Amino acid sequence: MDEIKQTANQENQVCQACIARRKILKAGMGIASVSLVGAMISTFGTIKPQSSKANERKPITAGDKLVYAMGPKKGQIITLDSIKLDKGALAFPLGKEEHLNLIMIIHEVQSEFKSPTHLSWVINGIVAYSAICTHMGCTVDWHPKSQTPAPYPHIFCPCHQSMYNIFEGAKVVSGPAPRPLPQLPIKLSQNNEIIADGDFDGPVGPMV
Amino acid sequence: MYKWLNERLDLDRFSKKFLRKAFPVHPTYFFGEIALFSFIILVITGIYLLFGYEASSKLVQIGSKHLPAAYASILAINNQPIGMIIRYVHHFAAHLFLASIMIHLLRVYFSGSFKKPREINWWIGLLLLGSAIFASFSGYLLPYDAFSVTATNIGYYLASQIPWIGHSLANFVFNGAFPSPGVLPRFFAYHVVIMPIVISLLLGAHLIVMIKQKHTQPKENKEHYKGSILGIPLWPQQTTIMIFLFLMTFGLLFIIASFYPVHPSQYFGPPTNSTPMVKPDWYFLWIYGLLKIIPNTFVIHLTKSAVIDPESIGGIIIPSIIMLFIFLVPILSKSDQKTYYMETPKSYPVRFAFGIAFIAFFLTLSVVAYQENIGLSIALSRILVLLIPIASWIASYFLAKAKK
Repeated sequence: MDEIKQTANQENQVCQACIARRKILKAGMGIASVSLVGAMISTFGTIKPQSSKANERKPITAGDKLVYAMGPKKGQIITLDSIKLDKGALAFPLGKEEHLNLIMIIHEVQSEFKSPTHLSWVINGIVAYSAICTHMGCTVDWHPKSQTPAPYPHIFCPCHQSMYNIFEGAKVVSGPAPRPLPQLPIKLSQNNEIIADGDFDGPVGPMV
Repeated sequence: MYKWLNERLDLDRFSKKFLRKAFPVHPTYFFGEIALFSFIILVITGIYLLFGYEASSKLVQIGSKHLPAAYASILAINNQPIGMIIRYVHHFAAHLFLASIMIHLLRVYFSGSFKKPREINWWIGLLLLGSAIFASFSGYLLPYDAFSVTATNIGYYLASQIPWIGHSLANFVFNGAFPSPGVLPRFFAYHVVIMPIVISLLLGAHLIVMIKQKHTQPKENKEHYKGSILGIPLWPQQTTIMIFLFLMTFGLLFIIASFYPVHPSQYFGPPTNSTPMVKPDWYFLWIYGLLKIIPNTFVIHLTKSAVIDPESIGGIIIPSIIMLFIFLVPILSKSDQKTYYMETPKSYPVRFAFGIAFIAFFLTLSVVAYQENIGLSIALSRILVLLIPIASWIASYFLAKAKK
């Protein structure tokens, strides 16, 4: 009360304690608002995403049968003679039908395959690669002997036009993909079914 | 009726202060209004869609097929008498919303209307553009057809390319690694609740600030009416024009929607294992084109976990640098006096040149996005993307200087 009377009496002199009080109040409001914003952000930040591993998938093991992933024969086991020359098909390992396990099986001429393709994993010209583009995770297409964009059979991603050469380990020949498609080891079972002989030889899809 | 309300709400005072406000007239002043009207149309058509939409990606059985519930609800909306056209109008209104915001931005930029005291509204406007883009992106997923899922998948991977925080940020925004079962309800929340609230609040702030600071006027008003506003009163003239413009926009959207189906989910089909050949919507084509021409050998390793690769350069870094420059426009081109009048675009050659060069950059990249369809090689695209903006800059700079 005395201080206020002092201010009224001396017009030019400002109440020193009032200035200090104002500074403390302003600082307090500043800290309070920053804490409020921080509290809101951390409250929403506690929401945990449903799954955090982008590249989690059930690994393919030796002996896994391969089935058609789509089309009229969806779910049927793929046999050696069901994929004709120059044809390709999307496949899943039976029981592990997750997006990242999608496989592209292609039938081409055996003698055209060369290193770095694992030649022991090519059976009668049938080779299996991952069907997930290593760029942004789109599913790739199979382009048999078409003239565009390449005059030889190749794997082509519709999203950003990455091209993979299946005869040389699905290495990237054009487009923004950073890594070749990993190859899946395959073998023949007794009933001439194409079955997996292990997991892909590299990481599937884009690196996140 | 008016007298009864007036005695209770003092409408006379409101009428005197607001209903006689003068609105300056200029043909380029319509773009902001069109953006506002498209937003209103989006909300109205959106509420109609809300009545029929189910936000879940769980499979339901329709006849013999198993479809995601959201996709099935879109088919059901299509079967409603005006369901399909309302869907198309909603989609076209979204395109119009974004286009009119961008043209409005260009008008404000070229007329220098962002200068003091209107820097605040420039930044609020940029926040509105960002919110509109995110609202559009989140809405795109909702039909959950093959195209929507592919586009959002790419968005997820782009977001995770942000160095260090990208993975956690993407998983937070997308509720887990895409396509997580929880992503659709989450995007539904963004698109229907959070973004409309954010956009409405930002719009309100944008308009209130504009009312307080008064809209800029054409330069001609300065000579004859300095110190006052030359314009038409809000009621009844400006209101009539605005109602007319709203009805025109509404009508034109319906006409376009009738002739050009857009995003026909019923033809795209539900998401499958194979990826369709998709291109992003027009406002993202420039980023798509940018990603195409950056060579995939361009990799810089920052730390063991963070790496700068073509995706982060084209998808995050370059767009961020461009957005930063757009953000800094009121600081780079400033005035110490308060401005009330629009400037002619060519009166500031450097600003004019950068604006034209940016438009050229945006358009060239959008065309490059279709390079494989039009037979343009990647090498030629790279040359054009560098050459055309620079040539436009030089040409427009000297054009503007010559005019002065």
